[in-house]
Amino acid sequence: MKLLRLVGVGFSMALRRSVAFRINLVFDVLLAFTGLGTAVAAVLIVFTRADSLAGWSKAEFLVLIGTYQLITGLRGTFIDPNLSWFPETGIRNGKLDGHLLQPASSLFLASLSLSSPLALIQFVLGLGVLGWGIAGQLPSVAGVLSWLVLVIAGLVVTWALSVLLACLAFWAPKLQLDVFFHSAWQLGSYPTDVFARPIRVILTYVFPMALIASVPSAALLRGPQTGVLVGGVLAAAGAAALAGLAWRRGLRRYTGATS
Amino acid sequence: MRTAVLLGFRLRQEVLEWSGAWWFLLTLVVQAVVAPLIGLFVWSAVYPDDPSIARYYVAVILVTLMTESFEQHTFSERIYDGTLSHELLRPQPVVIGVIGMNLAIRAWLTLLGAPIVLLTGIALQVGFDWTAVLRSTPYVMLAAILVFLWTFLLALTAFWTDRVHAVVGFGSQLTFLLGGTAAPIALLPDTWRRVAEVLPFYGMNGLPAEIAAGKGSGSMGYQLIWVVVLVVVVTVVWRIGVRRYTAVGS
Repeated sequence: MKLLRLVGVGFSMALRRSVAFRINLVFDVLLAFTGLGTAVAAVLIVFTRADSLAGWSKAEFLVLIGTYQLITGLRGTFIDPNLSWFPETGIRNGKLDGHLLQPASSLFLASLSLSSPLALIQFVLGLGVLGWGIAGQLPSVAGVLSWLVLVIAGLVVTWALSVLLACLAFWAPKLQLDVFFHSAWQLGSYPTDVFARPIRVILTYVFPMALIASVPSAALLRGPQTGVLVGGVLAAAGAAALAGLAWRRGLRRYTGATS
Repeated sequence: MRTAVLLGFRLRQEVLEWSGAWWFLLTLVVQAVVAPLIGLFVWSAVYPDDPSIARYYVAVILVTLMTESFEQHTFSERIYDGTLSHELLRPQPVVIGVIGMNLAIRAWLTLLGAPIVLLTGIALQVGFDWTAVLRSTPYVMLAAILVFLWTFLLALTAFWTDRVHAVVGFGSQLTFLLGGTAAPIALLPDTWRRVAEVLPFYGMNGLPAEIAAGKGSGSMGYQLIWVVVLVVVVTVVWRIGVRRYTAVGS
């Protein structure tokens, strides 16, 4: 409860700060629109040449893009402002020292205390595209519920992956994998069936980008599957536990950057 | 001659400096190849029996690696932190440093990305006609100049706004959509294709890749016209921008 209150206070402060810079607000809104427009346009071009892609119709692809955009928006709002460039900002510049001295969980402070409310524009636009995708054929209640569970699982996995990448900095402070993570993230905007088998296996089991959009979208469109739901929840729990463990191990190695 | 010597020195210095950041460069390689790789898989799924799709996209990956530009990081940040002043005080054009770093990063990206291109080509059994590859060389060089000029132009907006990354991000979206990465230009709907063939983005990516893949017959004149236009615009914007610049610090 205390942590939720902290998130709320941080979000409120960040929102007031963001709205003060109106030109930046306009830029971010425009970029969110053009970014989503580009993603949708790239897919619409494909559907001028084919009726389906890897078994997904145009409407289903819109659901996928909407879900991907929605999770990307949440990641940009709550995770990226904290863990982006963590080796540089957290470890080498010593910001982590400040977190360790505060009376709250250092993992929470380092990974979730800051937020970037303007990124929520992507979330809203994602919802719009999702609505566009399902407008023709409304999903079942069970489908919506399983989508919701899998989206939350996808968010937890996203947070855990970001924490795990940040934790690498405890062992290799110069290793900067943000660009790599953001690049790999783009693969989540397409169904894994599009890719060749080795990449499909990696995106499902090793670097589970499939859980970000493909799996929730399939659950929404084709109804819930118990195995997939259980697998998603277990993957989220496992990833979160692993992130917590890596953080604790990393902290034991950390000796502080400032004096 | 003096400018060429200075550029040579700067290039050597930057190549050596970046050699220590090979791991970061590798992540930039991944960033550069992801979008064309997605295009490759998507369009190969649409046309599974057409080998020219794979050949085209392998060429796009290579062209992308050889023409990547990051002036929003390497140049704009110097406006924001005020270190552009150091460059302005040197008895040489500021752009020499920018070009030197640009060429050094491209050289490293091409070197580190070559195995990925090779592996993709072998895995997909892509064969190239080497005369077409040779014929594409001047097109690739002009594409490299175009991408640099376009990115540098957008990076110059840092004189007016602190949202240069958003501006350059928007430019990258245009290049992705209309340059031949999202889809080969020939596969775009008619109206889009006609627009794409006129704008400079096709000359930055799709055209040289098509020539290397042995598909295209585009003209270098179109690229040259855009180089001239962008050089003029960059020069004008630089002159106006640098007058606005006020140094930070003492």
